[in-house]
Amino acid sequence: MNVITKWRFVRILLTTGSLFIGWILFSGNFVPASLIIGLCFSFAVAVLTYGIFIDEKEADRKGLLPRFHILFFYLIYLLIKMYLASFKVLFNVVRGHINPRVVHFRTKLKSDLARVILTNSITLTPGTITLSIDDDHLVVHWLDSKTTHSKYAGLLIKGTMEKMLKRTFI
Amino acid sequence: MTLDLAFDLVVFLFLGSSVLSLVRVIMGPTSADRLIGLNIVAAQILAILVLVAVKEGLHVYLDVALVYDIFGFVGLLAITRFFGKKGDL
Amino acid sequence: MEWIVYGFLFLGVVFNLIGNLGVLIFPDVYTRLQASSTCTTTSVISVFIAAMTAAGLSAVTGKIFVIALFFFVSSPVAAHIIARYAWNKEIIPWRRTGGTVKTEEEKNE
Repeated sequence: MNVITKWRFVRILLTTGSLFIGWILFSGNFVPASLIIGLCFSFAVAVLTYGIFIDEKEADRKGLLPRFHILFFYLIYLLIKMYLASFKVLFNVVRGHINPRVVHFRTKLKSDLARVILTNSITLTPGTITLSIDDDHLVVHWLDSKTTHSKYAGLLIKGTMEKMLKRTFI
Repeated sequence: MTLDLAFDLVVFLFLGSSVLSLVRVIMGPTSADRLIGLNIVAAQILAILVLVAVKEGLHVYLDVALVYDIFGFVGLLAITRFFGKKGDL
Repeated sequence: MEWIVYGFLFLGVVFNLIGNLGVLIFPDVYTRLQASSTCTTTSVISVFIAAMTAAGLSAVTGKIFVIALFFFVSSPVAAHIIARYAWNKEIIPWRRTGGTVKTEEEKNE
């Protein structure tokens, strides 16, 4: 059994686990029949879709498994920041003074999962929306723009989030 | 008692504002504007379902809310895929 | 305990109304999308927190938590899908004109 086959089995197992967690969360009961059916179907779906869920080149344990205690603090930080930014957008709407710009910047994060979480956090905090991402190059629409300088805008938008994510995914 | 009244008020207010956001669906110049309006309406209906489920004690409504959320998301994906460029998303 | 429920319900209503107002008055797709993203995430999550507090510690709270988690993931993805759709259709973003500082493209015009 060579390395590629082994990695394929690990990918199928990881996909089955994630789907099974989703099944338990969505169905919400622990009857044995439900668990068995869920396991069978998540394995069947995992065999079909493991190539999309985890890419073959992403053979990096630390890129896939985050450190959960920092991730927990990150979620709380994100929730607080979401409320603060919402008040900013609220004042922008009431005053009617907006200055929208499109800014480009790069991110230092390496793993795909970390990049997805960073883009979703940028979209989730009101006032900024990710328009497009190409490898490590992000295009962001900014509602109340203060600068168009690439490095400074990146620091203002993703500053603390990128630092925390870098510590989460190493 | 007053909690029930507050929940009722919020449910009707969300219902009214979802009608307000239907204006954008009707008069939006591009198809993206209409999608934004539909997205807002879906979110407000989701909030209404959860509030009614908690107020009346009908737990079935929570399952309805979950499936409604999932299907709204899939529907949005299908619409953008249908109107967008080929081989995109 | 009741005052937390009232506070979050009030926050949800305020964000919802302002989001709807923003969608109606803003000038183009991207700015409308900003207002709608504010409305949908913050107001609906406020309402969820209020509902969870009102329901107390039971199975209902867990189910609402699952719905909130799914909404927390699916809402920014939906906003990103719409933004990317508009960006790929090459809709040009609206810009404030008549400011004191002019950029390169405005000078060329």
